[in-house]
Amino acid sequence: MATQVPVFFGKEWAEDVRLAVEAGPSEQVLAGKLPTYWDWIASARAEYGASWALGCRDLPAELGGGPSYLVLEWEDGHCVRSRIVGPDDPLEATYVFGADYAVWRELLAGEDPGRIVMYRRLRLEEGNVVTFFRGIYFFVEAVAAATRVPAALPDA
Amino acid sequence: MAEMSLEKAALVEDSDLARIRHVDIDDVIDYVHRDLKKLPSYTDLYKRYLRQRWDVYDLDFTQDVIDWQQNMTQEERDSFVGISSGFHHGERQVEVELPVFMMGGSEESKIYMSSQIEDEARHTVFFDRFYREVVGLPGDSIQDVLDASFEHVSETFVGPFGLLAYQADELRQDPEDLAARVRYGTTYFLWIEGVLALSVMKITLTYCRNRGFLPGYYAGFTATCRDEARHVQGGMRFLRDAVTEDPRMLHEIHETLKTILTINGATSRRLYLEALGWEQEEVRRLMIRQLRMKLVDVGIALSPELEAMVNRIEPELAGG
Repeated sequence: MATQVPVFFGKEWAEDVRLAVEAGPSEQVLAGKLPTYWDWIASARAEYGASWALGCRDLPAELGGGPSYLVLEWEDGHCVRSRIVGPDDPLEATYVFGADYAVWRELLAGEDPGRIVMYRRLRLEEGNVVTFFRGIYFFVEAVAAATRVPAALPDA
Repeated sequence: MAEMSLEKAALVEDSDLARIRHVDIDDVIDYVHRDLKKLPSYTDLYKRYLRQRWDVYDLDFTQDVIDWQQNMTQEERDSFVGISSGFHHGERQVEVELPVFMMGGSEESKIYMSSQIEDEARHTVFFDRFYREVVGLPGDSIQDVLDASFEHVSETFVGPFGLLAYQADELRQDPEDLAARVRYGTTYFLWIEGVLALSVMKITLTYCRNRGFLPGYYAGFTATCRDEARHVQGGMRFLRDAVTEDPRMLHEIHETLKTILTINGATSRRLYLEALGWEQEEVRRLMIRQLRMKLVDVGIALSPELEAMVNRIEPELAGG
């Protein structure tokens, strides 16, 4: 029996994302950039303890409706919990981000998260900007890892 | 630094686009710092803009195309594109992020900032022309050419330029918020323009001058560097006035610098500076010197923690 791909912004997908960001980059991804870059990320991650709420403002109704958030909680450098927060649920996170569904689709198709940040298509809606950026490359690579996780989307 | 002679200053100050290709980049960088201690008013800077404005469509890249295709080695071309792509995207980035800063401050500041926005837009067109006409990147629109050069941009570009983008978003909520303006100004005027941009200018323009290559690029980018003199002086005036008005703003500068210097330590790809006649250590020292000159001239003291971070600065090449 074929394995079913978890639904985007579903509970199972959120857990797969947590496992992916906790595992860190593959050997193939590591080989694409200088070791010093990954050393910097390892250092930024080592005692990281913030939480990220990655939002999809206009998530289709069949996926739960928007705004919905994928919340990833970090403790001492480990991604210890993930959950989906729906439009009517209380949201609490150190940093809250928002992006349109179209942007998420681009990320899932392989668009560079750094470029998405640079063009402000993934916006920091709550949280201290200056403090957040002290871990920016860790965040960008985590979003890249998260969007490499297979996700089932409704037909366009 | 030795005092710049009046003759050299006048040459930088008054050269038109045809004559500026004979000006040494070191003299333009001296010109940036010449007025830092006394800092011109926004109105003086605006008047200077009106005198120094140049037409990006007057540049002739005919010889540049010959140099690029026939005289430069593949290694030199790769290195040049690797370094200047950070500027191509950096100019676009500062152009689109500056209008929100113009919404706050005095009326004189707003008028002056309108000229800086126009400068940054013109610099974006300069790089668009260079990449399209000399490097030969394809594209029907400015965005197409930006997309084509993006593969040459380092992954760490998102550090300073993503920070500026998010700080612009923060400032948009209240354009008169002095602390948000100071944090934004520290990233834009002190780091991106005062350190990163001037370092890239020095590296690429020294290469062009020493080798006698790319005269169109040399003229346009030297004129760009002269524009940056106004931007850096206007930006340092803003930071100095902000700290004078409210000494707590020094803390905002320090916190932003701490972030900038923290993310400066990451390097995702090697820059082959040697092909352009530079060593990593030279670039590191150049960046430290650029930062210290602005801090000293504007009177911004650093904590021991920040001093140590400044001494660990790593080469980072982008600009805007």
